[in-house]
Amino acid sequence: MATTTIEKEIDKSYDYDLQKTLLNKYKSANGWFWSAFSRYPIIYLIAFILLMCSAYLSIWTLSMIGVAIDKLIIGINAGNAFSPEFTRAIGLMITFVLTSWIALSLNVYLWAIASYRVQRDMRQEFYEVIQNHSMAFFDEHDSGVILSMGMNEIDQIRMAIHPSLRMLLSSMATIVLTTIFLWQIDLLIGAIMAGAFVFYMIIAWFYARKVGPIRKKLATDLADLSAISQEMFRGVDVVRSFDNHDKEIEKFNTKSEEYAEDMKREGYLSAFYWPALITILAAAGVFSYGLYMAVMGQYSVGMLISALALLMSLNRQNFMIPIRLISLQAGLQNSKRLWNKMAFKDPLSEPDKYQEGEWEKVISFKNVTFAYPGTEKRVLKNVSFSIPSGARVALIGGPGSGKSTILKLLLRLYDPSEGEIEINGTSIKSMYTNYVRSNVTMVEQDIFLFSDTLRANIAFAKPDATDDEIREAAKRAQIAPFIETLPDKYETIIGERGVTLSGGQRQRVAIARAMLSNPKLLLLDDSTSAVDIKTELRLRYAMEELMKDRTSIVVTQRLTTLVASDLIILMKRGEVVDIGTHSELLQRCPDYQFMCQHLPMSESLGECEDVDVVAGGRK
Amino acid sequence: MGHGRAVRMFQEKTHKRARSTKVLVSSLWIYIRRYLTPLILSTLLILFYSLTALVNPIIVKSGLNALNDLSYKSFFYGIGMFFTQLGTGEFVQIQKRVDPIPVGAQQFQQLIPLTIAFLAITVISWVFNSLSTRVTAKMNSQMLHDVRGDLYRKLSYSDMAYLKNEQSGNITARVTSDTTELATGIHLLTMLGSQIILIIGAFTLLMLQSWVIGLISLAAIPIAFLMSTVLSKFGRRIVLRIRRSFGSVSGKMAEGISGIAVAKSFNREEELATELRELNQKHYNYSKQFGMLMMFIMPTMSALSYLLFIVIIYASGGLNLPPGDIYLAVNLSQQFLFPIVMLAMIFPQMETAFGAMDRIIDVFEAKPAVADIEGARDLMEGDDSVSFQNVSFAYVEDNYVLRNINFTAKSGELIACVGHTGAGKTTLFSSLLTRFYDVQEGSILIGSQDIRTVSQSSLRQTIGLVTQEPFLFSGTVMENILYGAPNATEEDVKNISKMINADQFIEALPNGYDTVVVEGGKKLSSGQRQIITIARTMLADPRILVLDEATSRLDAYSESLVQAAQRELFKTRTTFVIAHRLSTIRDADRIMVIDQGKLAEVGTHDELIAKDGIYADLYKTYYIHQGLEDIELSVEELEPETLEKELQKPMVVPAGMAAAMPGPGKGSMHARKPDKKQDKKHLQEMKKAGKTEEVKKMKKNQKRKGGGMGHH
Repeated sequence: MATTTIEKEIDKSYDYDLQKTLLNKYKSANGWFWSAFSRYPIIYLIAFILLMCSAYLSIWTLSMIGVAIDKLIIGINAGNAFSPEFTRAIGLMITFVLTSWIALSLNVYLWAIASYRVQRDMRQEFYEVIQNHSMAFFDEHDSGVILSMGMNEIDQIRMAIHPSLRMLLSSMATIVLTTIFLWQIDLLIGAIMAGAFVFYMIIAWFYARKVGPIRKKLATDLADLSAISQEMFRGVDVVRSFDNHDKEIEKFNTKSEEYAEDMKREGYLSAFYWPALITILAAAGVFSYGLYMAVMGQYSVGMLISALALLMSLNRQNFMIPIRLISLQAGLQNSKRLWNKMAFKDPLSEPDKYQEGEWEKVISFKNVTFAYPGTEKRVLKNVSFSIPSGARVALIGGPGSGKSTILKLLLRLYDPSEGEIEINGTSIKSMYTNYVRSNVTMVEQDIFLFSDTLRANIAFAKPDATDDEIREAAKRAQIAPFIETLPDKYETIIGERGVTLSGGQRQRVAIARAMLSNPKLLLLDDSTSAVDIKTELRLRYAMEELMKDRTSIVVTQRLTTLVASDLIILMKRGEVVDIGTHSELLQRCPDYQFMCQHLPMSESLGECEDVDVVAGGRK
Repeated sequence: MGHGRAVRMFQEKTHKRARSTKVLVSSLWIYIRRYLTPLILSTLLILFYSLTALVNPIIVKSGLNALNDLSYKSFFYGIGMFFTQLGTGEFVQIQKRVDPIPVGAQQFQQLIPLTIAFLAITVISWVFNSLSTRVTAKMNSQMLHDVRGDLYRKLSYSDMAYLKNEQSGNITARVTSDTTELATGIHLLTMLGSQIILIIGAFTLLMLQSWVIGLISLAAIPIAFLMSTVLSKFGRRIVLRIRRSFGSVSGKMAEGISGIAVAKSFNREEELATELRELNQKHYNYSKQFGMLMMFIMPTMSALSYLLFIVIIYASGGLNLPPGDIYLAVNLSQQFLFPIVMLAMIFPQMETAFGAMDRIIDVFEAKPAVADIEGARDLMEGDDSVSFQNVSFAYVEDNYVLRNINFTAKSGELIACVGHTGAGKTTLFSSLLTRFYDVQEGSILIGSQDIRTVSQSSLRQTIGLVTQEPFLFSGTVMENILYGAPNATEEDVKNISKMINADQFIEALPNGYDTVVVEGGKKLSSGQRQIITIARTMLADPRILVLDEATSRLDAYSESLVQAAQRELFKTRTTFVIAHRLSTIRDADRIMVIDQGKLAEVGTHDELIAKDGIYADLYKTYYIHQGLEDIELSVEELEPETLEKELQKPMVVPAGMAAAMPGPGKGSMHARKPDKKQDKKHLQEMKKAGKTEEVKKMKKNQKRKGGGMGHH
């Protein structure tokens, strides 16, 4: 088992060190963002060339208007409107338009394809890197926020590249080519345009910088607003029973007001997009100048028309550029946010030189002190104990005693702040996390099952398990009779979109899952008690099966389990109070005696539901 | 043409509208009326803006036509040369100027007013546009705020059943996204007018120029609409697919993130990543189709607009138009084409807005929550007895969940309520006594007042409810406990927590009382969440208390600590406990047994046992095994089949076997086996409760603190 895990590591089909790889490769958030182009350089290059072609052809077409009109005037003056020159000019324009159409279509398509690939790749990278962060990361972060980053913000990054960046490039190409064209015709016009363009872009960038944050604020306002609303409707009976409606409405209105205010601010700001004045002035200037030059006989009418047509098309960019700039900035900002999450400095790191441990032998805690990352409170203080090979250990203690934390440390979900956990003398820190977890399995208290088939859930730890193995595990976990009653048996989908399982059923599915993973060390968190006697019996039987032939540590309050344990570790406020067998502790440890007094066993009036109810779930 | 807009344009209709457009517009009128002034103002501004857009090309036209009358020399070759050279890459000095014609200077002076007019109108057009955007922004934001506020208030006071049946996410969508859609719709409505004016204006001018050109421009209409229908047909399907695949990627990722601890424990990161990759690839494939669609729309639209003016130029050849007029025709044809394209896009969006409006009206027409009667009085203090008189109730018509309940709890009494799942316990206390719903028949009295005649506000201040599902608000633990008693101090919170033994739980949190509750309490165990809700209700100090399995999520040890403490708090109030533990039931003054919506039995524990009815049966099946005798059930000796059978019959353990405990797992241990005789001896000692001094001492402490032990 251990070796296969290590082999996977070497195989590199899945990069457990993706974070390091990416950090080295892209260096910074900007590096990551712009890497889009180095990922698919050829597609982007071809798309870019096509974009230039189409911009070039469009400008050519516009300037041909004047040419055509001039030819037409000459033709009319000569008595033949459809002179061959005029017809040729029209024919040329149509050719340009069609060619430009093809070039532009291909450009849009190629650019889109490459960008969607980038989106796919970045999303995958983000997920894999985040997934490899230790639990310290997930404790600190709201999973909704992380999800929205992986989905929406990656979308926004893609949108910054496609269509925003593509259109920005197209606008710029249009502006630059137009300027060059005008420059060739008349230095003065060219100079005016070039100056105006540079000035325009600078101002537009600053303008976008001003609007960007308000847009962002609006997005968070809206998220807050829906959070407030969602919370209130989920807890409406609580709100109502405390007669707190007005307070809740007030809370909502305050936020809604804030949103309205920000929305207004954004509207005001975008209303007076004054960089547009620059292009307006430039256009008016060129019009007057061109008129003057034409009157002076320097320009033809057609030429003036061409210049005007070009300027009009530039003016149209006014609507595009600010929106695209804002989107580009948003993309850059999002990539920064995502990058920061990806570059999370993990307090738990994989060893450079890994070792394996002899899990069949003694497992010991040596002066372990622990505080959850980012918190001050020490939940374990100087904890030391040794678990002999194959022992059954029970952990018991009041609220906040640190029982569950001990299990989490053994899974290497966290590393101790001080002290060592040793597997027959080898520190757990010198082992790969996935190696540790291939030897240790936990059945947690709040069971998490995936909304998938029962088969997939049971075979979660061993995807290649045969049907027989799965059935056997289910049978030993006491869940098989129940599964057999379902119409789809093992193919039944559970969770949100499928059958709802009761607490006891979930627990037994989790036990079957653990059964298949066949760990050397089993961790069981069994502190819930609100189950009826039938469920309880099944559960106990299933647990017995699971604990057979391996070292186990059980957080429990079942007197039966305590009595049967080889060793009981009694915890209180993060410290070990006493270690011994049930009879020893009962004799010498007052805390233990007190606790036993307060264990009413399964003193429950569980619900009278039939043990094998298919879909249940309380209302 | 951005993606955002394009995607919106294709949004599928998720909901069949229940109301006609006419009805919707007239409902919309309620809001529009309030903003009539800014609405008219912004429409006028947009109108002026549209007009300037039409006037400007006319000015240019006059300028150009004035020029044409002058003698001129053709310089177009310069342009031609330039492109030829740009094409071949040869840049040579272009001969741009020929001999100046000084005669023109005078003529130019005549043209000066024209250039000034051009500049002025462009600037004015910009100002009009900006002003209208500003006015619209203000109006829109205010209207959105109003609609949201109204909607939220209405929803807050809606019928409980309505709120419970809808997912909270759906309701929130009413408040957030539907209102946004509506505001967009109103905004579009103002745009609609200006676009139509622009179209008509441009078309009239074109017809005045030449009817031939006017008719050529008309060809744009079918083309634009053909495009829009083709696109919405294919586009909608593709967008739907993209959405679905986006949803499945999102779902997979969400699950991966929330199940991360399990994934890590079982080393399944790689497989999850692979699964995500497959979905991601699918999403990419659909997005590719969308790219193909986009490739068709945008370039084709622009190519069409180019072709349109080329055709117009060509046609003007036959019409003998002066150059200025040709320019005007070209310009107007564009002014005509773009609004038509806009219209084609506005209509689907308007449809979306109407759909949103429809759903919003649904909310406004939803059944309101039970209302106070006119002249409702406050609940009087003094008599906290509760009586149910012939109460029958159905959530859905004729499907009674409770029938003819008759029961009176005396002031200060502790009543335990037991029964099977779905018997109606929760409905009776959590829904009816609190008046979340009104009873269909009979009445509920507190003291001598029917709860339907008192103000809900005073009723809810009197009754404290701890629900089955511990629900916490975002905020700190302290804020959560203060929720029901905003005037209490932090000191009060700490006192009450100490009193119910909640302080141990709270102090175990990373930041104690200042721990922030996120995502409904992700980092808290369900037991911790539950204990906070108990403290919250206790702090509000209600006179009547309803505890609906309030401690079911605590572990046995913690629960016994908390329950012991609670009893003190129950003493002064009328308390209803929907119970799942024997200890609570034993402490109760009386026990109600609800069976299939009927009150089956009432009495004390002993009375009910003597009666040998439903309660006695429940008790025998579920409680009698409690305590150490239970250890007798050594499961491992039973084959699963036997176990099944064993489970069918109520298990009665012979008293004499009480001390014999083989302990489960016998033989499965390869380490030290417990010395059974030893254990047995000690357990017997335990049973005699508190043999050792320490235990006695602790028991005393416990008594002083909370008021009595769990056992005897």
